[in-house]
Amino acid sequence: MSMTPEELFRLKKEIKKAKRRQDTEKEAKLGMTSLMDIVAIIVIYLLKSYASDPVLITPIAEQKIPMSRMDMPIKEGVALYVSSRELIFNEEQLATLTDGELDANIVQGHVIRPLFEKLEEETEKSKQVFEARGEEWVGHIILIGDQALKFSTIVDVMYTAGRLEYSEYSFCIIQKG
Amino acid sequence: MARVRKNEELEVEEANVLPVMNIMFLLIPALLLAMEVASLAAIAVSPPKFAAAPSDKKEEEKKEEKPLKFKVFILSDGFRVSTAAQQEGAEAGKEQDSSGPSIPLAKPGADATDYERYDYAALEAKAKELKDKAKHETVVTISAENDIPMQVLISTMDAVRGTDCKLVTLTDDDEIPEECLFFQPIVEAGAG
Repeated sequence: MSMTPEELFRLKKEIKKAKRRQDTEKEAKLGMTSLMDIVAIIVIYLLKSYASDPVLITPIAEQKIPMSRMDMPIKEGVALYVSSRELIFNEEQLATLTDGELDANIVQGHVIRPLFEKLEEETEKSKQVFEARGEEWVGHIILIGDQALKFSTIVDVMYTAGRLEYSEYSFCIIQKG
Repeated sequence: MARVRKNEELEVEEANVLPVMNIMFLLIPALLLAMEVASLAAIAVSPPKFAAAPSDKKEEEKKEEKPLKFKVFILSDGFRVSTAAQQEGAEAGKEQDSSGPSIPLAKPGADATDYERYDYAALEAKAKELKDKAKHETVVTISAENDIPMQVLISTMDAVRGTDCKLVTLTDDDEIPEECLFFQPIVEAGAG
């Protein structure tokens, strides 16, 4: 008995279907090597750029760092964060500010008392480290200020650090352009 | 000694890299967060007693010239510029005239929070003029009224340093580029 082409087509189709059903499911393998390479390169690049910064500066909340055309990199030093609301040293709030000015009670003859005390402790430790290394200690303050910070406050911070033999000062800025 | 058959297939089990990938993927956002978004730099400033010590050669050259003593006082209504000779705009016979600024505001009616209200272009022009007279001078003393904001102080430093001044590539032995005017600021409190 001969089959019509249509019947032959259906039969072939059914045979194929039956074969497919019999086949065991193959596990798909995801090629992870190339992805691993890309991710590893990104991580190494990010780690490198992270490690190349001598000082890590993370502006505090509501702080607008002044803008400037200066292109000099930041040298290693003691970072002081002064926003228009607070003075932070070593992640500790030492004073509060009102409209960019320090509370008059904590400033005695241009010396910011809480800052002087904390900075004195750190300076002593730093000096001991340098002495143990046989190197000369040079105090360097990095002032990370706010655009609206008053000149009188800047002078007070510099004067307080100056009393502790800090001789180098830098104003942190965001590069324009 | 055991012999390895030629036809025997050595089954090498693939390393499971998924946990490593997970750590890597966690590291990326962590590092991106830690990275600085804006490019930060620093302006080195000196208090009066720690004014930058010039080299011997420069010192000799300076001795021949009269010290400039370039001072800029930032007032709420402009800049008062003075040199060792005489304050700009002071009356004849008077060394200083503290009554007003020598460079008034560019935008007199502007709000105090508008940091661009000062005439930085005029100050830079003045600094250029002074630099032509005293080529080896690099020091400027900047002072301000107590309520002058930090941004104005920084912009003033930019103006007296020169718009096109690039210091990052400059070494101690290099000749000071012409475009760099007064790039060693001394911050002085209450200096008139």
